[in-house]
Amino acid sequence: MSQSVNFFTADKEPYYLPLADEVEIFRAAYSARLPILLKGPTGCGKTRFVEHMTWRLYQETANSLEVPLITVSCHEDLTATDLVGRYLLKGDSTIWTDGPLTRAVRTGAVCYLDEVVEARKDTTVLIHSLTDHRRVLPIDKTGELLHAHPEFLLVLSYNPGYQSVLKDLKPSTRQRFVSLEFDYPSVEAEAAIIAHEAGLENTDAERLAVIGERVRNLKQHGFEEGVSTRLLIYAANLMTAGIAARRAADVAIVTAISDDRIVQNAVADIVDVILP
Amino acid sequence: MVSLAQSEDTLALFTEGIAGRYIHIKSTEEFVNHRRLAYRPDQTGQSSDAIYLPEHINAPDHNGYRVLVMEQLGLRECQTFSFRMRTALARVDTLKAHYSEPATGTARSGDFHLLFGSFTHPNLAADLFTLLEKARVQAYLLRTYPGLKRHLQNYHNHLLSTESPDIDPLSWGHRYLWGEANIPQQWSLLSCALQNLEASSTDVYDSVSELCTLYSLIESAYVFTETDPYPQQQESLPDWLNREQRVEEWEEDLEQLDERLMAVDMLAAEDVEAQRGDSGDAAIREAELDIKSLADERDTLKRRIDMERASVQHALGTNRANARSFRYDEWDYQQRRYLNRWCRVYEEPLTGSDDYDTTELRDAIKHFQPLVQRQLEQIRPTGLQRVSRVQDGDELDLNAIIEARQDIRAGHSPNEQFYSRKERMQRDVCAVFLIDLSASTDDPIEPPEPFDWDTYQKNNNDNLRDPFDSEFEESPVDETPKRKIIDIQREAMVVMASALDALGDSYGVYGFSGYGKDNVEIYTAKDPHEAFSQRTLQAIASMTPKRSTRMGPAIRHATHKLTQSGHAMKVLIVISDGFPQDSDYGPERGNHNYGVEDTAKSLQEAQQKGVETFCVTVDRSGPDYLQRMCPNERYLVIEDMADLPDQLSKVYTALTTG
Repeated sequence: MSQSVNFFTADKEPYYLPLADEVEIFRAAYSARLPILLKGPTGCGKTRFVEHMTWRLYQETANSLEVPLITVSCHEDLTATDLVGRYLLKGDSTIWTDGPLTRAVRTGAVCYLDEVVEARKDTTVLIHSLTDHRRVLPIDKTGELLHAHPEFLLVLSYNPGYQSVLKDLKPSTRQRFVSLEFDYPSVEAEAAIIAHEAGLENTDAERLAVIGERVRNLKQHGFEEGVSTRLLIYAANLMTAGIAARRAADVAIVTAISDDRIVQNAVADIVDVILP
Repeated sequence: MVSLAQSEDTLALFTEGIAGRYIHIKSTEEFVNHRRLAYRPDQTGQSSDAIYLPEHINAPDHNGYRVLVMEQLGLRECQTFSFRMRTALARVDTLKAHYSEPATGTARSGDFHLLFGSFTHPNLAADLFTLLEKARVQAYLLRTYPGLKRHLQNYHNHLLSTESPDIDPLSWGHRYLWGEANIPQQWSLLSCALQNLEASSTDVYDSVSELCTLYSLIESAYVFTETDPYPQQQESLPDWLNREQRVEEWEEDLEQLDERLMAVDMLAAEDVEAQRGDSGDAAIREAELDIKSLADERDTLKRRIDMERASVQHALGTNRANARSFRYDEWDYQQRRYLNRWCRVYEEPLTGSDDYDTTELRDAIKHFQPLVQRQLEQIRPTGLQRVSRVQDGDELDLNAIIEARQDIRAGHSPNEQFYSRKERMQRDVCAVFLIDLSASTDDPIEPPEPFDWDTYQKNNNDNLRDPFDSEFEESPVDETPKRKIIDIQREAMVVMASALDALGDSYGVYGFSGYGKDNVEIYTAKDPHEAFSQRTLQAIASMTPKRSTRMGPAIRHATHKLTQSGHAMKVLIVISDGFPQDSDYGPERGNHNYGVEDTAKSLQEAQQKGVETFCVTVDRSGPDYLQRMCPNERYLVIEDMADLPDQLSKVYTALTTG
């Protein structure tokens, strides 16, 4: 199978620090079953936000769904078939197997298509029929017209920044969603997130957050994406595991964001003056 | 000694990261050559869009440059340039003793100029102030950027060990900041002051206060004579920076005034409404008077802002905050060597706006589209293709399935590749079009062409039938504007752009011009990763003839951009109207050999880096120099300008399918 599917069953609340009113909006959209589109750069917390919200929603409804959130990371070879399902050879017979989207539609889970613009264009057909009043999923290969479970919700995410304009979402797709914009948090908020996620001391976490802020200033000129909160947390994780701060930043930040030697040197220099 | 050239690329990115906006990193020599401001090549300084660093510094390693950059950024972060004399007078009591309203001062006198003018030797005061601010900034940097400490100490230790101490108090002050432990007893007051300024609560006015306290002590150390005065500096850079910042403050005031004026205006109008028929004439007159005085105040301020902005620009040069800059080598064919980091290229986006009429360009697209499209269709990719027998796909491959079934029945393990899928056949091409925007592209083309494409054929026919008729009919002065080379270049570019967009290749459109080696300009109409849009049309429409044609650095920059794009096939097409020339392109003006040789070298470099190059010119004497300039005879001289779009698409097809 070409897609990677994460089945999410967390007993502990996934940590998420709200930056604006996104929690309320998501909740309201869910109660009206409006599909949601999350826009924002890599590693700024979109996936975590969906996990957090799903956990909260299912905690409140006391729904005994085994798999409340199905995440599909889209890539450029992901086709509609990968989402809907396919025939597999099993022993002597050829049997139909549901894809992750079909499974979510049947059971009433939240289906989260991460980086959806990466997927092939034929996937939009599925998205369109599921996101208007019809809420149906046509399955060509079996001839089935599947009506969505009342609890089912579709959440998409995409990153308008680095993907080429050719891969932008079509307005007809975009206008079916409630759009929530995400960005990297402020230095204070990011420091709090890093400190919580990696269990790092506050001053160190703040320094990492400042590194994030400064390195993001180079975005688009030196390289396509700024350093993500995720990378900063990785660096923090390494530091709590006993790696020296400079070395941790070196492997988690400097070498991770670009292969260009000049950019790497510049980022290393920025890290170098901010860390003690 | 370390030199700037080796680390300036990294340094520029570093500076952008720390400062949060792009700042040009320039060699101080570039400043000395071009400005009337007194400036020494061994100094560090800044203007609003650049930081000037010495070409060579006495430092243990390149981190010395980083320390210098941080010191300059520190001055910005510590608000040194937001110093205001009025605030200083209110806050620093000791300053009042020195200061007297200058007789020649105007509202536009610089605040630093006023401050230092309060002392008998303004330049000594300025140097002392710089030292005091340095202490404050250094302490701030060490607090905010703890990692800088190592480099600062390293650099300072190096300076301490290599530079021998002078006797004057200012140099001892600097040595104190470098960490010198044995400051002569007589200057202990100075070192105390420097130490006081290290506290985090200090601001620029504390430095001013220390300046007032220390000035007489420091001055007493110098013996000034008529023949040996303190080195004079006519105008100082910080003063201009300070004044530039003040313009921005004034503009805020202006906005407020505008708002107030509008509010009063509305109020007055309401009053008039309310008191119509009433006997409120006096009140109305009062309101009018109010409006008049406000309007006067606004106009004065507006005039002052305009004048100040003009003088700041005159002093500091054109503000190139929107541009990014790069330095490139140049080939000196007489000495057979590269001149290291010789030319500065500014890359500036052409924003375009609604003011530019794009209908003409749209007409050109309509006219040429079918022709160009036909050319480019030869290279259109085949689209989606179904690939069978793959591990993973959207459909089962029936043949493979049957074989697999047979294998299973026969007891063999089947081949697992029994799917088929659609795959896109992609071209991976990036093209850059480099358009000459020299002044000569403003020339009309001969013979002048009709303006309107629809009537093009008709007029031609008319002329064929009766060639003299039209001449007699026309008025003696030809009123239709003659079409210029630039018009055709612009049209050819939009036609190519729209066609390439349909093809799906990524491409960039850049204009180039400039004046002198430190001012090569590249104008970005479209970057390869942008989509073709109305904005692209406007940007191309806003391409206008500028100045010279220094081709070498422009080609080097385009090559740099192409190699960075990461595409497999890279194509560079240069469109020009004559030989490369610039004011200092070679030792003698008018001799084009130097320019031709440098351009030839830059094209060779491009080829070595895997870029396919091609030159298109409309200059009929082109073959003379193009033969020497372009490798493998890759050039084309266009006889009839109207052929440009057609020829360009042929060239493009040949280059990208070859």
